[in-house]
Amino acid sequence: MLRVSSDERSAWLFVLPFTISMTLFFVYAIIRTAYYSFTEYDLFKAPSFVGLSNYIALVSDELFLIALRNTIGFSLIVTTVQTVLALALAVLVNHAVRARGLIRTVFYLPSIMSSAAMTLIFLWLFQRDGFMTAIVGTVLAYRRHVLLFFIGFAALQGALVLNARRSYEGVSIFDPFFLLAAAVGALALVVACAFSGLLPVFDNDLLISWLNTQRHFLFMPVTLWSVALMNVFTTVPTLMLLFLAGLQSIPSALYDAAEIDGANAFQRFRHITVPALRPVTFAVVTMGVIGTLQMFDQVAILGDAAPLASRVTLAYYVYENAFPAGASSRIGMASAAALVLGILTIAVVYVQKSVGVKERAE
Amino acid sequence: MARLTAAGAVPSRRRLPASALRRRQLAVSAWLYLTFLAVATIMAGTFVLAFMASLKVDPLERPFRLYFDQLNPAAWIAAARLGQEGASDALWGGFSPGAKITFSVTYAAPVGTTIVEPKAEIPRRRPGSGIAAALMRDYAADYASIALKSSSSATMQVRDARGVRQPWQTRTFVYEITYRTDRRNGPWIERTPLNLTAPSSQTLIDSPISPSRSERRGRLLSWDNITPGALGLIFNNYRRVINETADLQTGKSLFGSWLVNSLAIAIGRLVLTLVVASLAGYALARLKFRGSRLLFAALLFSMTIPAQVTFVSNYLIFRDLSLLNTPWSVIVVSVASANVLLMKQFFEGFPREIEEAAIVDGANRFQVFWKIVLPNAKPALLVNAILAFQGAWNDFFWPLVLITSPPEALTVQVGLLSLRRSYGGAQGDWGLVLAGAFISIVPVIVLFVLFQRHIVSTQVTKGIT
Repeated sequence: MLRVSSDERSAWLFVLPFTISMTLFFVYAIIRTAYYSFTEYDLFKAPSFVGLSNYIALVSDELFLIALRNTIGFSLIVTTVQTVLALALAVLVNHAVRARGLIRTVFYLPSIMSSAAMTLIFLWLFQRDGFMTAIVGTVLAYRRHVLLFFIGFAALQGALVLNARRSYEGVSIFDPFFLLAAAVGALALVVACAFSGLLPVFDNDLLISWLNTQRHFLFMPVTLWSVALMNVFTTVPTLMLLFLAGLQSIPSALYDAAEIDGANAFQRFRHITVPALRPVTFAVVTMGVIGTLQMFDQVAILGDAAPLASRVTLAYYVYENAFPAGASSRIGMASAAALVLGILTIAVVYVQKSVGVKERAE
Repeated sequence: MARLTAAGAVPSRRRLPASALRRRQLAVSAWLYLTFLAVATIMAGTFVLAFMASLKVDPLERPFRLYFDQLNPAAWIAAARLGQEGASDALWGGFSPGAKITFSVTYAAPVGTTIVEPKAEIPRRRPGSGIAAALMRDYAADYASIALKSSSSATMQVRDARGVRQPWQTRTFVYEITYRTDRRNGPWIERTPLNLTAPSSQTLIDSPISPSRSERRGRLLSWDNITPGALGLIFNNYRRVINETADLQTGKSLFGSWLVNSLAIAIGRLVLTLVVASLAGYALARLKFRGSRLLFAALLFSMTIPAQVTFVSNYLIFRDLSLLNTPWSVIVVSVASANVLLMKQFFEGFPREIEEAAIVDGANRFQVFWKIVLPNAKPALLVNAILAFQGAWNDFFWPLVLITSPPEALTVQVGLLSLRRSYGGAQGDWGLVLAGAFISIVPVIVLFVLFQRHIVSTQVTKGIT
């Protein structure tokens, strides 16, 4: 009895620093945010209670609605793309056994960098007369070449496969050897046509506004698409490593058994890999959702390089209301929006978790 | 799938021979490696390109050249010679009393036109666009005299547009730039700009280092610094980011103090995190106490809630304690939940028996922790130290909120934002901005190179839990 209580006392001493910081900087902070969301407060005069009017103001604030839409769109796109890409890359790297160490290093670099440095590098790439514009310009200038390559590629592959099927059984449309041959053939065709002057190169002196623009593509501003590209670039490597660890823990006997039973590569992926990776996928998606919903740094560093409505996210909306440029703080609005952001995050993670746990039981 | 189609197929068709199957396997690995190569090229290529751009005079130059003075060993040697002649400093160059610099340029023109001597001057040019311009007091123009020493003519063969060789005449002008003898006690000056104006009929074909820019359709060629020294040539943007982001009053380098601040904060955060996380992690893993479940739930919860939800209250706490704009606020504010979780997991895998034996011998909990558990937890502590350092160094949001003034109190990440604002805008001095970005990642790169295995494996375990 005495032992237990002394243990309990020392336990409390052990967790004291953590508990203090948790209580002060997290629990108390959330409670205070909730309180401020019902007040009007500018950081100087004492807060005055205003009931639900901050929330009502939020719903009628156009910028808030834009921020909400941007955040949800961004989160949806980035989480999906990065999860799929990371899985694909992991499967790829898992095969390419020899270079695995090197691959890890190369793929890993973007994710240790600070978001500030990464954003600056991408801002440079996405300048109006920068590198991305040049790449798009080159593709457009050689559009005939690209088109001819793909037509030639498809035609050659079709011809090779049909020819082989006349004498052999079981030749897939995506037969890898023929794909390689068709790619080389199509490339040769394009080079030959280009040298004989049959393919025109279009001139263009493009200037594309990737960032400083109000244009939308589908449901999201072009600016945020650019940021999404960068985000995918930096997060995919880490997520790929997670999938890779998951893949390596799958016993290879499972695959061998399935192969003997006559399952093809896709079937093996669908019925062995995907179920075995469920816990990892859950972790990856959760991390992705949490990370993308609070996307802030990139937007802040963009700053006046892009119009506010094209880049604003919920996290930035909160900051922008708390410290608006050249106006007094609207802590009430900021807190209300912050709570919305917090609740949104919890809701998504909770839904994810309840779906994920069920699937895990399989 | 193959079997299904085979069932209804014409019996005369044969199965693929073994050699063809082998070929297909090879083709599959070829595709794998090609795809991998493509992905790796995109990943690494972006950084290589950006790094190259950070060395360039104009990173937005179109089309982007992959070969320029900063990557050209011949230019390095020339720059070292010019630096040596300018200030007896082959590495960083400069212009100091006693300097006597020979700078030769060669112009070419089709036979029949006369090549005239270009008009040469050392202009009073301010460097860059930012604060440096205001800080600059000494101009090479006030201390230098330039004179044509000699000139010589020659001819060369040039292929014209149709590939036909044609003779062109060339003329080399050798200039001598000296530190004026009547100004013997003059200062050391970082750069010596040069302008050459020549008719557009003649083209510059050779100079020790390339001109920084050409204006008026190539008539005016200007060099920012003809005495750079080898490192001064290659890392000019890096030197600028340190020197030109200076405080107007004190003249101290802002970028330098940002780096120091970041380092101090990262080390502070590292120490604090290790203490908090190992203590709390141990208690959560081993000790039973009321509220432990609640604390653990709060820990998990805090990992999902964005910092933007809690920042107003935390900002006010530090304001009321007058700790705003001090490193302490940023060191203390983060709740080290992820680190606590990692330590907890490590301690849970630690064999219990040794601790119990020590307790039977009469040691109390703290002695067990200090003498037995911690010395055995070095790998976990190392991993946490790395993560804490990296996290603190890369953190952007808390420093942005908690440290806003004076300019030299910022951290390097927030400093990058201010660089972007003052240089990456309309004037587009991207060389300086990119150089800043690359300097800011040096510490984490070093950390990564030293502890690569730990970092990678931790990220994996951290994610799965």
